[in-house]
Amino acid sequence: MKRFEYKVPGGKLLRVKLEVEAGKITFLQLTGDFFMQPETDLEELEAQLISSPIDLAAIESAIHEFFSKKKTVITGASPSDFAYVINHAVKS
Amino acid sequence: MDLKVNDAYTNMAVDEAIAKARGEEKAPDTLRFYMWKPSAVTLGYFQSVEDEVNLKALHRFGFNLNRRISGGGAVLNSERGEITYSVILKEDNPHVSTDPIESYHYLCQGIIEALAVLDIKADFKPINDVVVAGKKISGNAQIRRYGAVLHHGTLLVDFNAREMFGVLKISKEKLSDKMIQQAEDRVTTIRRLLERRIGFPEVRDAMETGYRKAFDAELFKSDLTPYEEDLVKQLRERYASRNWIYRR
Repeated sequence: MKRFEYKVPGGKLLRVKLEVEAGKITFLQLTGDFFMQPETDLEELEAQLISSPIDLAAIESAIHEFFSKKKTVITGASPSDFAYVINHAVKS
Repeated sequence: MDLKVNDAYTNMAVDEAIAKARGEEKAPDTLRFYMWKPSAVTLGYFQSVEDEVNLKALHRFGFNLNRRISGGGAVLNSERGEITYSVILKEDNPHVSTDPIESYHYLCQGIIEALAVLDIKADFKPINDVVVAGKKISGNAQIRRYGAVLHHGTLLVDFNAREMFGVLKISKEKLSDKMIQQAEDRVTTIRRLLERRIGFPEVRDAMETGYRKAFDAELFKSDLTPYEEDLVKQLRERYASRNWIYRR
């Protein structure tokens, strides 16, 4: 299990746990003390990123696209912060 | 709704029941005061049990483990240390900004006024805290659901560091960012500031006055409606379920 945690400056704490097998994400859980509405969007994002190939640029743009399409309101973190923790966990 | 003591799962169910009833126009705007028995660690919706809670210590103290529908951070809702409150308004209330931080600022004013009644000068600290001289005295969380906004938070009256830091795991990342050596230095309480053993009824009265002033509102004492009572029974089951508590 790969893990990474990051305190967003002026924002909240983000944590990620993920597993990679054969170049793909097989497990992904994002947690932390941020706020997100609607809150079900986080689970949907996780589900969408599972089985993504490890292409960090593609994952980052998928996250941006997901949140902007959904009009998700995130407080204490940004879509880039979610990409950042995934990126660091994958590389760890 | 006047100060009542319940367990964690009933407390969460009551907040959600009022929000649903408010959204459906079956309840008025509501201010609620409550306390907890037994004490509980309450996680924010997006937090994981494993990362936040020392389960051995939790069981040793006999505390409940609880999860909110709102985001934000883990708190110890101590049966002897705090008064919890919720404010439930219609989501389209003209005073409630769609901007989350402005909305926190507005809905935290009641606590700032309550502390002023007790001669304590407090400030809103974005995103969702009320602080006295930089130390947190109140943490807050909001959720918009059912066409209502539910704002709930806790006001620290007393503090047991051994309990709080026994059950809560404090992130090293979080501490390093704030450049604070001692987690204990981050918080303060009404009793510490007043240097006297102020009772819960006096704090509760100050909170009522504070919210009345902050919102320029008339308050009427009331209880859950039969509709809300029914909702509480249904919702409590979910809050007490292992699936809900351990969902992350």
